[in-house]
Amino acid sequence: MSHGFEVAPAKGPAIPDQPALAGFSRLLDGFNTLLLRLSMAALVLTALILTYSVVVRYFFKTPTDWQDEASVFMLVGATFFCTAYVQSYRGHIGIEALSSLLPARVNAVRLFFVDLISCLFCAFFSWKSWALWHEAWVDGMTTSSTFAPPLWIPYAMMAFGMSVLTLQILVQVLTHLTNKRISKDQMKTHPERSLP
Amino acid sequence: MSPLTLGALYGVVTLIVMFSGMPIAFALGVVATGFMYFFMPASSLDTVTQNVYEEMASITLLSIPLFILKGAAIGKSPAGKDLYSAIHTWLHKVPGGLGIANVFACALFAAMAGSSPATCSAIGSAGIPEMRKRGYSPGFAAGIIAAGGTLGILLPPSITMILYAVAAEQSLGRLFLAGIGPGLLLVGLFASYAVYRARKEYALAKAIYEGGGVKSAYLDNEHYTLRQKVEMLPRVLPFVILLIGVMVALYGGYATPSETAGLGALLAMVLIAIVYQVWRPRDLAPILTSTIKESTMLLLIIGMSLFYSYVMSYLHISQSAAQWVVDMHLSRWLLLAVILLMVIVFGFFLPPVSIILMTAPIILPPLKAAGFDLIWFGIVMTVVMEMGLIHPPVGLNIFVIKNIAPDIPLKDVIWGVMPFVGLMFVAVILLCLFPQIATSLPNVLMGAK
Repeated sequence: MSHGFEVAPAKGPAIPDQPALAGFSRLLDGFNTLLLRLSMAALVLTALILTYSVVVRYFFKTPTDWQDEASVFMLVGATFFCTAYVQSYRGHIGIEALSSLLPARVNAVRLFFVDLISCLFCAFFSWKSWALWHEAWVDGMTTSSTFAPPLWIPYAMMAFGMSVLTLQILVQVLTHLTNKRISKDQMKTHPERSLP
Repeated sequence: MSPLTLGALYGVVTLIVMFSGMPIAFALGVVATGFMYFFMPASSLDTVTQNVYEEMASITLLSIPLFILKGAAIGKSPAGKDLYSAIHTWLHKVPGGLGIANVFACALFAAMAGSSPATCSAIGSAGIPEMRKRGYSPGFAAGIIAAGGTLGILLPPSITMILYAVAAEQSLGRLFLAGIGPGLLLVGLFASYAVYRARKEYALAKAIYEGGGVKSAYLDNEHYTLRQKVEMLPRVLPFVILLIGVMVALYGGYATPSETAGLGALLAMVLIAIVYQVWRPRDLAPILTSTIKESTMLLLIIGMSLFYSYVMSYLHISQSAAQWVVDMHLSRWLLLAVILLMVIVFGFFLPPVSIILMTAPIILPPLKAAGFDLIWFGIVMTVVMEMGLIHPPVGLNIFVIKNIAPDIPLKDVIWGVMPFVGLMFVAVILLCLFPQIATSLPNVLMGAK
């Protein structure tokens, strides 16, 4: 685990050759940056909330009952909102041991299928997340605490984040199919992967 | 199909999917969902997302991004360099003092930042050039920093231990305390080796010089005035106060672990704003971005690993595998040796997060049945995983060293870390012989279990 430390600086996302796909990819990058900014704010706000709860409990003897769930909601939201951004930089680590053993063309096929299956899984996960959100919304589901915030909020953030992730991987799958020039380096490993 | 056969199939499929190069988080999700589809009632597929959410929505787990933020804030500031320089000025007269200064700086920084690679980078970028300038061999200098950095996952607030506490259902406060004794033991072992090796290299340098050879920088005298020493303190003290403050908040009963994480992150940001004027949005953006990238990647792996374990438990794979291990009637220590060997092998391919969450349901019940204290085992397992951070083939810290000192040949780095791998092995043996090294501090401060 690297914990806030990158061994090598991350490279930018791969740019698709196909103009329409490139346009959509840029749009998605912009949207991911917006979600990243929101998540940064959520992270700092969570630190403030948790500090506030300690301060008011010990200095003003006023315990709060909402800080844990508010923090959970914000951090779950930040995680799912940024998962597409992390994927755009290939920041979700995997075992790349095979990349140096397989011939370049076989590797390119392997990378395509890895992305395709990842995309299908994320699409399934998004679909089930939206179904869960709908159920929570219709049934008015809440957490079991005294604060009892509605559960559709984190479910919606999860579903939304996973849907953006699905789109992000879809762009990467289509980039495999449409990009004509693939360098040998790109055949060896995901071109943007930044961690060893 | 018997649960054990199913378990073997689950393991083989997991290996295939992971070695395909699929990101670990998706690979675990794909395998668990696939087995749900084929071996569990159809309706269970509707619960996939709820399972992942419920596993992730733990305030203890969600303290991880905040601890990462605290580490990133300190790690990306010049605090590491200042800490190292301060300790060096105070210890330079001790034989091998430069090596000791590096080990101490790594330990203190690791305890503040909670990260192995960040510690290596922060202390190493100042420490390695200084050690080499003073005549230390490159491999030795690299070894000290790579090994010192591993203390980040043993000393509180260790993210690895947060995960272990969740997976093993043990008290996080107790685990954090249990890491301190072995952490100090490793600091002692590393520092002793640094003294031994530095004296050996000094003697060699002296013999070469006296034989008419080149004068090594080892033989130069260094001097710092008291004023210079005192001037180093103001930049370091705030961070030491942060370290102590966080521990007091946690163990004084003022804050829960997650509140401590929030408090620590905020204080770290306030400190770098005051001491290093890092407060503008453009200064904070890299810190927050790296925190988000790291924590998103980790939390997704954690959520999917817990979901993976849930499927394993539903299909009775973990229970049967655990029972199978118990039925082998291995002696206590053989059982421990086999399990630790497995952790080492997994460490070749997987990050500690996945090792803990995927193996805990299988390895913990037999260990508990054999009478091992699970807090103690958590510490031993962490030391073993520390070895994984510096031994080939993965050894993340080796990559960090290569990044900050690219001119040191990889062979030298690897040979340089090997004595430290040996010292960690010695620490594991000592922990087995004297479990009190880990258990006495939590027992004294929090009462016996």
